[in-house]
Amino acid sequence: MRLLRVPPWAWIGGGLIALLAFPIVQRGQYYQHLMVMTMMAAVLASSWNILGGYTGYTSLGHAAFFGLGGYLVALAHNQFGWHPFISTWFLGLVVMGVALILGWIALRTHGSAFVVVTIAMVFIFRIVALNLGEITNGARGLTQPRPGWGGVQWSPEIMKIPFHYIMLALLCLTVLVSWRIRLSKFGLGLVAIREDEGKAEAVGIDALVYKVLAFGISAYFVAVAGGIYSYFFTYIDPQFIFNIFTSVTMVLIAILGGRGTLWGPVLGAFIMEPLGDWLVGTFGGTQIHLAVFGAILLGVMLFMPQGILPSLSDWLKRLTRSRGAGRLGPEPGAGQDASSAAKT
Amino acid sequence: MTIPSTHLFVQTLILGVLVGGVYALMASGLTLIFGVMRVINVAHGAFLILGAYCTYWLFTLTGLDPLLSLVITVPLLFAIGWVVQRYLLTRIQNPEQASVLVTFAMAITLEGLMGTVWKTTLRTVRPDYASKVIELASYRLPVTRLAGFAAALIVLILLYIILQRTNLGRAIRATIQDRNAARLVGVNVEMVAALTFGIGIATAAAGGSLLSMIYSFNASSQTDWISRVLSIIVLGGMGSLPGALLAALVLGVMEQLTAIVITLYWSPIVFYIFLFLTLIVRPQGLMGEVVREKA
Amino acid sequence: MLQVENISKSFGGIRAVDGCSMTVERGSITGLIGPNGSGKTTLFNLITGFYPPDLGQIRFDDRPIHGLLPSRICHRGIGRTFQMTRLFWKMTVLENMIVPVRQVGWKTLFSRGVKTHEEERALELLETVGLVGYRNEEARRLSFGQQKLLEFAAVLMADPELILLDEPAGGVNPVMIEKTMSFVEELNRRGKTFLVVEHNMRLVMDLCQYVVVLDHGQKIGEGEPAQVQNDPIVLEAYLGSANHAGA
Repeated sequence: MRLLRVPPWAWIGGGLIALLAFPIVQRGQYYQHLMVMTMMAAVLASSWNILGGYTGYTSLGHAAFFGLGGYLVALAHNQFGWHPFISTWFLGLVVMGVALILGWIALRTHGSAFVVVTIAMVFIFRIVALNLGEITNGARGLTQPRPGWGGVQWSPEIMKIPFHYIMLALLCLTVLVSWRIRLSKFGLGLVAIREDEGKAEAVGIDALVYKVLAFGISAYFVAVAGGIYSYFFTYIDPQFIFNIFTSVTMVLIAILGGRGTLWGPVLGAFIMEPLGDWLVGTFGGTQIHLAVFGAILLGVMLFMPQGILPSLSDWLKRLTRSRGAGRLGPEPGAGQDASSAAKT
Repeated sequence: MTIPSTHLFVQTLILGVLVGGVYALMASGLTLIFGVMRVINVAHGAFLILGAYCTYWLFTLTGLDPLLSLVITVPLLFAIGWVVQRYLLTRIQNPEQASVLVTFAMAITLEGLMGTVWKTTLRTVRPDYASKVIELASYRLPVTRLAGFAAALIVLILLYIILQRTNLGRAIRATIQDRNAARLVGVNVEMVAALTFGIGIATAAAGGSLLSMIYSFNASSQTDWISRVLSIIVLGGMGSLPGALLAALVLGVMEQLTAIVITLYWSPIVFYIFLFLTLIVRPQGLMGEVVREKA
Repeated sequence: MLQVENISKSFGGIRAVDGCSMTVERGSITGLIGPNGSGKTTLFNLITGFYPPDLGQIRFDDRPIHGLLPSRICHRGIGRTFQMTRLFWKMTVLENMIVPVRQVGWKTLFSRGVKTHEEERALELLETVGLVGYRNEEARRLSFGQQKLLEFAAVLMADPELILLDEPAGGVNPVMIEKTMSFVEELNRRGKTFLVVEHNMRLVMDLCQYVVVLDHGQKIGEGEPAQVQNDPIVLEAYLGSANHAGA
């Protein structure tokens, strides 16, 4: 029980130190690779959460921005020699711009219609990538030179390490921005939109503007991650990267960990990514792993729709009466019972 | 870009309408389900493929004509749909929010299962009349597409009759309009939901069997189909059956035109681009209602 | 201050508002009464931008506002409460107070400092309505009357010039009604204008300086409360069907 008296910042600090030390302590390439992917999953889910968790608009289209980031970085590298570790941060802004435009159209729809529109986005990008062969190399995909710096390739033993640190930096940035949004009036407005969009409008929140901003911001980190990803694997192609499955994985991770919370998506990533990796390893490249994934998603949605963190934090609160990493309005889904009872 | 001659243009139009009819059939079930249950059944594509596989196997093993096999596949899928609704979907706590993800989970689970059982080989159903073409006033109408359109028309008319002329249909329409009011006048809303979902999936059987004749498919085709059908119902206006029909025809025609005027490879994108363009001007879709606040 | 000119709005076949015109004078407390279904709440929804009118114009400070988004109208200086109290139920009382946006600007949105400054204002207002002790309670845990009061107070955070109250006394106990009434009068003395929909005639007579009567979406009478109370047309509208049914 003394574990519970440890203040939040100590947990965060400890985790950060562990992550910083990880590649030094753990030399195995397989595990280093897995950690990079896990942190990336955490970035994607946390980023998605800025829209999907705070405003409640479920986007299944973020794979489009992931892929676009990947393509832009690959193209810039091959055509202009821009190193992905630098270019991805700027090209992410380009993707953010695209997201703002698309969001301005898409966010006029609500609920399920919005989900469908975001699905359409992924397909649009995929078909464009497939067909603009002169630029994107069509179905054959884009390859980049093996990772290195200043003309020197990194040797296989250390290759994962730079990726680890850049991904860690991205993760820290994503969580930081997500946290600052939570504390701001903008964040409160997003949650208001989630709780009652009409009422939010009535008290002066221009819902469309807020949503589009959240959409754009959430696209940025996803795009940067995509850029790093395309370099990490040195290869991307449209079928692989513009994939609804990628989007759904982000969503599943965020929901599993706790949609709308700060750390939930990160927690979800640290659970799902190793688990998913194990699944693929065990069941091979067959379609069965799709079925298992579907079953997990089904299970989470039916039996644990708030995710782990809110349930955990309720339990912890009961034990310690302490608050978490900064309350941002209500936890979504928490106590679904009484809102109608209170109105009578 | 190739500008088609008038003849080619009309030919393409006809083909587009024929294809649109099948899309309309696929979209109708989805619209009905949404109207009654406010559930977006993302698994509809997977059920379509399931229907297609059933048709394929009935044809391959027994030579049963795809259109005749509807007698078997439709009740089969109706039953599956009914069971799924009753025992799975009723467990969703927050249908408006969660249904997309739950049905998506169903879709990929189904895709995974079908892919494991039937592998990734592309299949098509080729009855004898598969390559036959009817010539009408110098326009060529492929028999499969004609049969597909005719079957779609029949099913849609049946659906119309059920909805407008039977007690069940009246109960369904009442539930669509106001769930609670329907309950108050004695409609067994839960039964209606199960039946409607069953009917919706049954139309997927029909759509799937038509699909199997016209296109080649495997388990992973379901994503392409569901994204098209979803775009159709959003374009038409969620919950609007006439809207879905209109959107299906429009998109069918546009798809064929794009294939001819630009290239085949760009044609799928028409669905999504057209959807986006429409949403700029009409976020509620072609025939959707503007859902404004009730204060 | 607010001019409604020949407004019409239909839903399907029903004309909820039918060529209605009225004015709200700056600094007044104007009442809007009429039998159920006469279009009062629809008119509120039209004024605050929840639907666009089919016909007609609405002008606020001589600028047209019909067809604008509700958030835009809020920034122009019109606030409203809802007939069925509408709050962010799972947020705390204080959070509900901070959500409303008075003016738009990047600093407003992203800086942390603003939130603390607004907290001061919010706490002051909560103090005035007697809810400050509940500031960290979730809104849904308040009593019905307290929730209505909270909704009112939160609307004030956006600093509106004109406040539309939709049945502020509906379902509320007499003590709370008194509280609300005196709050309205105090704010009115400080320059706020009110348009109040109410069924509670005593409240309308005591509070309002001017009254507009609607029936079937049209204005059928207006004037000072005492005048309107005795207007035969108004009486007919309220009691009409009883007369025609025959005793």
